[in-house]
Amino acid sequence: MNMKLIVVLLTAASSLALTTAIVAAEDFSKDSKANTFGLSGEQKAMFSGKVVDILCELSGDCPVNCGDGNRNLGIVRAPDNALVVVSKNAQFEFNGAVDDLLPYCNKSVDVDGLLIGEDPGVKAKVYMVQFIRLSGETDWNKAELWTKAWKKRNTDAAGEGPWYRRDPRVAKQIEKEGYLGNV
Amino acid sequence: MKRLLLAMAGFAAGLLVSGGLSGQIAIAAGAKTVEVKGEIIDTWCYLSGVMGGTDAVVGSAHHTCALWCAAGGIPVGVRADDGTVYMVLKIKGEDPLALSDTILELQSDSIVANGQHYVRDGVNYLVVANVVSNDGITNRNHEDFGVVPGFAIPEKK
Repeated sequence: MNMKLIVVLLTAASSLALTTAIVAAEDFSKDSKANTFGLSGEQKAMFSGKVVDILCELSGDCPVNCGDGNRNLGIVRAPDNALVVVSKNAQFEFNGAVDDLLPYCNKSVDVDGLLIGEDPGVKAKVYMVQFIRLSGETDWNKAELWTKAWKKRNTDAAGEGPWYRRDPRVAKQIEKEGYLGNV
Repeated sequence: MKRLLLAMAGFAAGLLVSGGLSGQIAIAAGAKTVEVKGEIIDTWCYLSGVMGGTDAVVGSAHHTCALWCAAGGIPVGVRADDGTVYMVLKIKGEDPLALSDTILELQSDSIVANGQHYVRDGVNYLVVANVVSNDGITNRNHEDFGVVPGFAIPEKK
């Protein structure tokens, strides 16, 4: 092996090690205005990325409009290409984030919220999105569309109280097996 | 000196190869067919600790909340017997948020499922092709934890 090749290999390896260390240590909390709740492994995180249908991103199975609300959505984070599962929006009533993300399907957005989870082996912790905007816009939108969308989907939901007490599918399941399930 | 440099170059080459492979895994490893034995869970409460420890936010204790979260569009998962959590992206051909009853009927159940397993950035994903067996809710942890959260069962008027 000649000396020139040895030097090239050593230089390339050093750069790779340095890059890896930088990505692993990436901190997205700078400038974040997210509300905190003391959740497991919670980190404030504001970043940019592209809204994607997760299954499409992984497998190439890509229906129109990111599945039209039927698929789990995520964000491919721009700085490190990590696929982030967006599990939660900013509401406090057991609401996911798909209704808040869907208008941005395959578009570049900025988001602000919380990364969650304790597993050190996970590069892309799950995310609670609290604010979202198209990249390049100045005004943030609060991620709280779910309840309005539920009302549109369930115009004939009977009774009073929060959605989760009136949701026809949940009510049907509890009627069938009780609050503790079929134990 | 030459021997030392050669050893360092060998290490460097190894690092480059392993770094290259990790890079491929981060982008998307191909799917593997797997069979997973475990419990259907609500991933948000399980990973966030918002309702308590991981033993409390599964099983019968957390069943009603798990129904709420699944109906609310929060990703459903499988906690395998070895502790691995899989995010479920499709179940028996249905998209998980398709407003069908399938995902709610399986919530908190102990199942064996087969399908396609993907890994990216340390997160495990599962496209469930078949639920091979279903023992229903076998984790009767309400006997230890009561109902989680406490308001899940409404007070009688």
